[in-house]
Amino acid sequence: MSGSLLLQSLILGVLLGGLYALLAAGLTLYFGVMRVVMIAHSAFLILAAYLAWWFQGETGIDPLVSLLVTVPLFFVIGYVMQRLLLSRLRPASLTMMSVLLTFAIALVIEGGLGYVFSGTQRRIQLDYSSSSIEVLGANIAVVKLIAFALAGVALVGLWALMKLTRFGQALRATIQHPEAARLLGVNTDRIAGFGFGLGLATAAIGGTALSLDSTIYPSLHWHWIGPLMAIIVVGGLGSIPGAAIAAMVLGISQSLLQIPLGTTWAQTVFYVALFATLMVRPQGFFGGRLAQRF
Amino acid sequence: MPSASSTRSAFDTALLGVRGLILVVAAVLVLAFPRMAPDAFILSVGVVIASYAALAVGWNFVGGFTGYISLGHAAYSGLGGYGTALLIIDAGWNPWLALVGAAVAVALIAVPIGVASLRVRGASFVIVSISLVLILLLVSQSWSGLTGGSNGLRVPRPFADDVLRPEQHERFFYLNVALVVVALAVWWAIDRSRFGTGLKAIREDEDKAQALGVPTFAYKLAVFVISAFFTAMAGGLYALWFGSLDPIFQFSILIGSYMVLMSLLGGIRSLFGPVVGAVIVGYSLEYFKAQYGDTQFHLVALGLLLALVVLFMPDGVLPALGSLVDRLRPDRATSIREMTAAELLEHNRAIEKDSGTDGAAEDRETEEVVR
Repeated sequence: MSGSLLLQSLILGVLLGGLYALLAAGLTLYFGVMRVVMIAHSAFLILAAYLAWWFQGETGIDPLVSLLVTVPLFFVIGYVMQRLLLSRLRPASLTMMSVLLTFAIALVIEGGLGYVFSGTQRRIQLDYSSSSIEVLGANIAVVKLIAFALAGVALVGLWALMKLTRFGQALRATIQHPEAARLLGVNTDRIAGFGFGLGLATAAIGGTALSLDSTIYPSLHWHWIGPLMAIIVVGGLGSIPGAAIAAMVLGISQSLLQIPLGTTWAQTVFYVALFATLMVRPQGFFGGRLAQRF
Repeated sequence: MPSASSTRSAFDTALLGVRGLILVVAAVLVLAFPRMAPDAFILSVGVVIASYAALAVGWNFVGGFTGYISLGHAAYSGLGGYGTALLIIDAGWNPWLALVGAAVAVALIAVPIGVASLRVRGASFVIVSISLVLILLLVSQSWSGLTGGSNGLRVPRPFADDVLRPEQHERFFYLNVALVVVALAVWWAIDRSRFGTGLKAIREDEDKAQALGVPTFAYKLAVFVISAFFTAMAGGLYALWFGSLDPIFQFSILIGSYMVLMSLLGGIRSLFGPVVGAVIVGYSLEYFKAQYGDTQFHLVALGLLLALVVLFMPDGVLPALGSLVDRLRPDRATSIREMTAAELLEHNRAIEKDSGTDGAAEDRETEEVVR
């Protein structure tokens, strides 16, 4: 194995890990604010990718511009979904039933995409689709760099929002201790809705990033849901730094394992990590004592 | 709920009579179905529904007793199917022996899987169950030397060539019904046993059950393995009937979600819930596929159905009917019925509200405890 191939895989792994980290952060956000495991996250990811593809096909404008519409749209969808659907579930069985409910939403999205756009595989054609830059003998596609940059900007934005604004403070308070937050006058119901919208907005960004260099089809979300779920379990449900670290480590491992094993078998690294985590540390590597119960 | 006391009220006797009558009529209808079916297509739909019922009852051993919702039981039905096929093709076993052998093998495989996945509860368990199917899908697609990969695997017919297609459907219909009956009998026996009581205690409050001395892990594992066995039998029977296996359809999360939907819709706490759910869901699925087969619309229909059940009927059709009957009961106050932890919470909260205890914080606290 040549050094440049290794370097290339490593760089690709980091780029992939960034995207995984963004999407896993969204999943962790839902879990934090609502104790909800959102199976439909990756379906919304594919929906955003389709919207970007459709937007580009109809208008010929760069798909990144579609973010101006999809991000607010997804935020509203997330808010409405939380307030109208998820908050209706009984508290005693919330975690379990939310999985089934969001699974149902994922099916509706997949079926709807297939119905509207058919099952045909789609791909965005861009002027810079095939261009790449060379770093120390490693070829890195420009679209992958753009996707990583998007993920990076979104993650930094998310971090700034959580740490520097009053809304972020209220959201963190809601995650840490809902009762105390309510005592201090935080409207936790509304904050939970906003948190959900925020999580879904990350899916809009991730989906658009994905659309730049992937072939998309309606059932693609199943390929994403497994790795993403594995990442949040390994990282510990509810821990954003845990999700980010697990996403990086697993993304890089997947990329490196592709050299000896090939793409399909390399994907099993997520599941191996998942089961190994359950055997060694069921609550995940960064999760608190509570994570095991969910 | 059957009340077993000797002082049975007239209402209960009448109820028992009605239940018995419904059961007999249902049994006669099921047994006469192949004779009444107008054509081979309807007959094959019947086989599919019977097969779904077998899968749902198999699923309900874990889902109904312990409340652990597995979205990945297609792993066991798929393994049962592939196991049966491989034992016939590669090892030259008799088809029926292969069916049982594969189910036993799947039950053995379920032991380590159960040890790993039953360590976590709730949502993490669901995630693990989904991952299991995705792994098996990856493996079965990649390991084409064994499974035929995406080309699939042809399963030899278990009956001689002179048995025609409609006759095959008829035989497989009865085989599936027999499997359902056996599985229901086992479910019923567990439901009445100490083992079953322990499992239901886990469902309502696992920590308290453990504190009371229920060997929760061993119980969960045992029922998990039983569930895998019956699900694998159903999967193997399907493979023998359908005659070909394809990874995408065998290790599909959709099949697993059908099982969940059927059981939830009918009612996971009742014996016949999964069967009733299988008839409703199986019929609607076949209808949707026939009407909108070339589009993905049947996925939308399935998703909407699941969402409606989760939002408005989380206890299922049969328990809803049961509470309707309870409402008609003349001596409602004396009725003994199973209360779920959620119902108990609602009940307590209503009492609390009545007695004027105020404060959302307290409600929140009870929620936390129940979680």
